[in-house]
Amino acid sequence: MTAIVEVNGLNKYFDSLHVLKDISFEVAPAEVICVIGPSGSGKSTLLRCINFLEQPDFGSIAVNGVKVEAGGSGREYKQKIHDLRLQTGMVFQSFNLFPHMTALGNVIEGPVTVKGMPIQEATEIGAHFLEKVGLGHKQDSYPSRLSGGQQQRVAIARALAMQPKVMLFDEPTSALDPELIGEVLGVMQQLVEEGMTMLTVTHEMGFTRRFAHRILFMNEGRIIENGPPDQLFDNPEDERTKIFLGAISRLGE
Amino acid sequence: MTQTTTELQSQADQIQSLKRRKQQRFRLGVNLSYAVLFLLLIYAFSGIKFNLFGLQFSTISLDTAFIAENWYFIFNGVWLTILLSVLSIALATVLSLLGGLGRLSKYPPAYALATFYISLIRGTPLLLQIIFFFLALPQLGIRLTGLWAGVLALGLNYGAYMTEIMRAGIQAVDIGQREAALAIGMNQGQIMRRVVLPQALRLVIPPIGNQFIAMLKDTSLISVTGFVWELLWRSQKVGRANFRSLEALLIAAVFYWIITILFSIVQANIEERLARGVRTT
Repeated sequence: MTAIVEVNGLNKYFDSLHVLKDISFEVAPAEVICVIGPSGSGKSTLLRCINFLEQPDFGSIAVNGVKVEAGGSGREYKQKIHDLRLQTGMVFQSFNLFPHMTALGNVIEGPVTVKGMPIQEATEIGAHFLEKVGLGHKQDSYPSRLSGGQQQRVAIARALAMQPKVMLFDEPTSALDPELIGEVLGVMQQLVEEGMTMLTVTHEMGFTRRFAHRILFMNEGRIIENGPPDQLFDNPEDERTKIFLGAISRLGE
Repeated sequence: MTQTTTELQSQADQIQSLKRRKQQRFRLGVNLSYAVLFLLLIYAFSGIKFNLFGLQFSTISLDTAFIAENWYFIFNGVWLTILLSVLSIALATVLSLLGGLGRLSKYPPAYALATFYISLIRGTPLLLQIIFFFLALPQLGIRLTGLWAGVLALGLNYGAYMTEIMRAGIQAVDIGQREAALAIGMNQGQIMRRVVLPQALRLVIPPIGNQFIAMLKDTSLISVTGFVWELLWRSQKVGRANFRSLEALLIAAVFYWIITILFSIVQANIEERLARGVRTT
């Protein structure tokens, strides 16, 4: 089986700070990957490099056959980045819904503005995806009238409406009250079951343990563990992984 | 012993009503003071003579016959004053939007043009600009009526100052909004048009309202062209003709003041409504 995401030799600096150090990995279609690690280890930056929200300094990213090398410029290069972004959908920690549009408006914005889809067709698709995240009845609500969990589900529907091949989740539940986390994880579980390829930066160890096919453990800009959850949780190879998992499990008790 | 909920409730009510009474007393005091100030103002222009410590004093006396005869002529300038302000603020809003985008542009000529425009306009007096458009342009074969010379000058001038408002408004839109738009594949133009500007314009409505109120009074500068029959021009005309400039200018001042108060109330309402609409998550 060929990989749907290929990250090769990725390096990223913030000024003189080396935040991603020679990262390479592959993701198979329908694979669910959770990226975990201490804060500041570069997890979010890695995720944001995959759709070029952050420009990597060296290396290359390929998603569904669209390959972009770091450090290009010009119109053709921008078009390539655009093509790459169309292969991915992204969900942010702080939702980032457009506050001046309704839930449906948010979901159809991509199809209408980016793909040039007629409003009527987009509305059908938008309604379908809102239904899918359990918010069919909230179509006409503005984000300010929705709870955090509902906003994040609309954000997921917005990403799905572009029909991406890979979904990127950047700490999707970190900004939510504990009682609202479940509804977002429920939608993500549904996506896992449908065979969506997913890369998730998360602190939700329960979700990770149950649904991740593979875990990338990051520390100081490097992937130091790359394996199935059982192996990583029960038998971590690296000392730092043990310390991190120890701290997390103590928190959970 | 613990207090029951009803006891706690009545305690909260007491604190509430105490607070409210304090506020009411303050409002009452302020309103009474306004009334006193207003009466003093009227008294100062009443023309009444009085004796203090054996000295003869007199308040300012106004020619009421002149006022009765001419206030309506001056009042008719209100419409033109408002029209000038509306046209100028419309031009200024468009220019400041372009200026703000220019100031944020990564395209060197756009940035340079916007910066040059702001520097030039802010570096020269508004009055000079108005006279320039009216008197200097005809030498180049461009003849503008006083009204359009005034609107052009005021619009260009306020546009330069408002550029910073627009720039701040655009920058105040959360960076996450751009990122979300990029992530669904929107390009820079689409992001500006569909995501950033609709939110930025909402933010700049209150400060633009302030500029409009300031502009209402700066339209009086256009009177120097001599061909725009707005408030100040009208009051100067009848004042000079009858040697009653004191009365004539006071009438114009009162009208400026009233329009400003009225538009300030409108402005406060808009601001309140916008504040209610925008709820942060």
